[in-house]
Amino acid sequence: MTESAPLAVELRGITKRFPGVVANSDIQLRVRRGEVHAIVGENGAGKSTLMKTLYGMHRPDEGEILVDGRAVTFRSPADAIDAGIGMVHQHFMLADNFTVLENVVLGSEPTRGGRLDRAEARRRIREISDAYALGLDPDTLVEELGVGDRQRVEIAKVLYRGARTLILDEPTAVLVPQEVDELFGNLAELKREGLTVIFISHKLDEVRKVADSITVIRRGTTVGTADPRTTTAKQLAELMVGAELPVAQKRDSTVRETAVLQLRGVRVAAPGGRPAVDDVSLTVREGEVVGIAGVEGNGQAELVDAIMGLRPLSSGVVLLGADDITAWSTRHRREQGLGFIPEDRHRQGMLLEAPLWENRILGHQTRPPSVKGAFIDRKGARADTERIMREYDVRAPGPDTAAMALSGGNQQKLIVGREMSARPRLLIAAHPTRGVDVGAQSVIWELLKDARAEGMGIVLVSADLDELIGLSDTLHVMLRGRLVATLDPARLTPEELGTHMTGAASTAGAA
Amino acid sequence: MSTLRRLGTALLAPVLAIVVALAISALVIVLIGENPLSAVEVMLDFGDSPSQQTQAMVVILNRAVPLFLAGLAVSVAFRMGLFNIGVEGQYRLATILSAAAGAAVALPAPLHVLLIIVVAMLVGAFWAGIVAVLKVTRGVSEVISSIMLNFIALGLASFLLTGPLRGSEPGASIITTADIPESGWFPGLNGVFGALGLAEPRSELYGFLLVAAVAGIVIAVLVKRTRFGFDLRATGMSPSAATASGVDARGMVIKTMLISGAVAGLIGLPDLLGSSHHYGTEFTTGLGFLGIAVALLGRNSPVGIALGALLFGFLDRAAIPLQFEGIPASVVTIIQGTIVLAVVVANEIARRITRRQAERGGSQPASPTTGDGSTDGGQGSGGPPPDPGAAVGTGTGPGVRSGAADGTRGGQQ
Repeated sequence: MTESAPLAVELRGITKRFPGVVANSDIQLRVRRGEVHAIVGENGAGKSTLMKTLYGMHRPDEGEILVDGRAVTFRSPADAIDAGIGMVHQHFMLADNFTVLENVVLGSEPTRGGRLDRAEARRRIREISDAYALGLDPDTLVEELGVGDRQRVEIAKVLYRGARTLILDEPTAVLVPQEVDELFGNLAELKREGLTVIFISHKLDEVRKVADSITVIRRGTTVGTADPRTTTAKQLAELMVGAELPVAQKRDSTVRETAVLQLRGVRVAAPGGRPAVDDVSLTVREGEVVGIAGVEGNGQAELVDAIMGLRPLSSGVVLLGADDITAWSTRHRREQGLGFIPEDRHRQGMLLEAPLWENRILGHQTRPPSVKGAFIDRKGARADTERIMREYDVRAPGPDTAAMALSGGNQQKLIVGREMSARPRLLIAAHPTRGVDVGAQSVIWELLKDARAEGMGIVLVSADLDELIGLSDTLHVMLRGRLVATLDPARLTPEELGTHMTGAASTAGAA
Repeated sequence: MSTLRRLGTALLAPVLAIVVALAISALVIVLIGENPLSAVEVMLDFGDSPSQQTQAMVVILNRAVPLFLAGLAVSVAFRMGLFNIGVEGQYRLATILSAAAGAAVALPAPLHVLLIIVVAMLVGAFWAGIVAVLKVTRGVSEVISSIMLNFIALGLASFLLTGPLRGSEPGASIITTADIPESGWFPGLNGVFGALGLAEPRSELYGFLLVAAVAGIVIAVLVKRTRFGFDLRATGMSPSAATASGVDARGMVIKTMLISGAVAGLIGLPDLLGSSHHYGTEFTTGLGFLGIAVALLGRNSPVGIALGALLFGFLDRAAIPLQFEGIPASVVTIIQGTIVLAVVVANEIARRITRRQAERGGSQPASPTTGDGSTDGGQGSGGPPPDPGAAVGTGTGPGVRSGAADGTRGGQQ
């Protein structure tokens, strides 16, 4: 690890253009052997394009790639693997009904006499698992594994193919905090064995915890490197956005008297015994943000579905204003003033293959400006999409662009703009800033705060504790389908909230 | 520019598919020891006299009209991700019942025709409705139930034909329903040939062509311009997003299948009202299955389906002249079959190309700032290999649905 040793990976002046856009320009990256090197940048800054270049998924228009000091040209990922570069994708690519062993060797199976040599494969996987403390059992079915284990299988896959440099694309996006710690432990093992890790992320705290050096990308180009030991998260973020940062700080209370949403004894059944939502009662008043905190999978998603009418209640009542909406359809609820920012925008919020103006209509099919009577008002929808793009800073070529061409942050801004434009009485915001870069995050926070000031009631479900504490007027903690605590966000630290979320504060021994 | 490119990609798939299919068919003809060029000659030879030529055109059009309706019926369901394989049973049952209804009453001409059309649509919709109800209430896959209902429909039609609805003499070799009186016939369009100064063909051009055209326009407007159509397409693209937007998925399944079935009910009517005037053992079969092929070929857009139906009509006409030349008529079936296979493959390729272009912001017109000597190779030839890593990350649903999603994009101007 001396300075004179050749760099594990070096990129010089990489430029990659797509029609109409320069995705990467003049990228400079120097990754030393045996370090964890983080690449940080907002969504859409060009991190993924860069990694695809390095993994041979496309060729740069200009610039050089050097591996161990030698210039290389990658025609396909196979070339990159041959050069010792492996990629752990954000979305796992594992066959659920195969064992760990079968998944790891898939595509480069050791054979003996034309048949899969299981003994040899098992031996090598054990070796890898032991050497890097991955703790894998080759004979477990992947479908029985948790997310953290699956990720380790992906890492083992890459190591099995002889990679000396691993690219991890947003590896922590899918992990819960404990799993993140385990992953960082694994990365330390890899480092100790002399492997190089390129770690792509936009979570600055994690980056500072795990990385040995950091390269920041902004608007398609590398804007600088930073030493995680001497740089604060705030400085990093400012380097990323190129501006001073916003904080999720709310203004004075705007809570009014009138209740806009009331849940009374809401229960949602789940397959296999315990209800997913168990006797939840809460009230949201005009101008109030009610936060729902909790470790994911404790019934938040089901609660949101229940309010939206996407899932039947087994008992309980939902009131919107003075109306009992328990039996209303989702469309009726939306028409009467329920707005929805879904947790998974690709699954519930967008038609990826459709143009933006059609996405503007989605969820508002019965209301102007996008419809006239029984017909779609194409002109109106296009014009209003342009307005949303302008007012909510959605960066896209035009209303006819397909939604999938937009970065996550821009997609989310379109959804937020669309929902806000209908002026709902109550907005359900499920993880409104998940997978969104810092710039879009602050825009969305501002929008939520403005809406609250105008008297909108907001249900905020989030895993981001700062967001919850910063925006909520009232904070409920959800655990195993129940609301177990109601907290005052004004006098609460993230650590205290975390304790409540795991149930340690109220019920002893609960996980 | 971008419209042109989009149109290009929309046309790319079917044209490519037809070329590949013709190449394979030529190979087959060579293998059986005949000359593919002479086959092509036969197919393009519409006859010597002007009346033979117009006759050939009438044969093609008369075949294309029911194929178009069949393709339309399939495409409506396709658009929302439903695979209505039951079109065959729906139209057969609709035709026999409407034929019987038409024969049983005497009404003034327009009303008589209208009654037959309404009965056919209702029967088709009812039969398709069973599929929808099974899907919505019991979760039965529409593919399975519609195939099963085909068998029941065909059996039922045979029973009705030989039993209660038989109109032909006992012992006749061809069993038919009773003839519809002339007030229930749809007038032909041969006057058009005279007006255009063309020779009068032997057969009547089906007047039902106009009904088919109206049906095509109505469906096109319904799917592309109305709220209902938006809900339908949204459900086809992403059922989960559609539900979250307030679309009632169950209701949509039922409505869509009813529309698909109603259109399917029309398929047999051009022949019934235009030439045969009864349903019988010799009535045209297989149109429902060909409709699936035509819908695929036309990428679910009414204009595309019309072109696909004309192509199939053109190929079908060639079957008899080919036999005169000693080339088996099944060559036509081979061409049609390979076209369908090739179209499925080509649609998928075209879908990936469009998707890749979209993901790269390819729908954006190239800005002058990047024109500094960089070739446009990044768009076409220089694309990355079909790496699973690139595709899987954002992949949508598999198989059947992709065809439907395709047409959605292909059809938009």
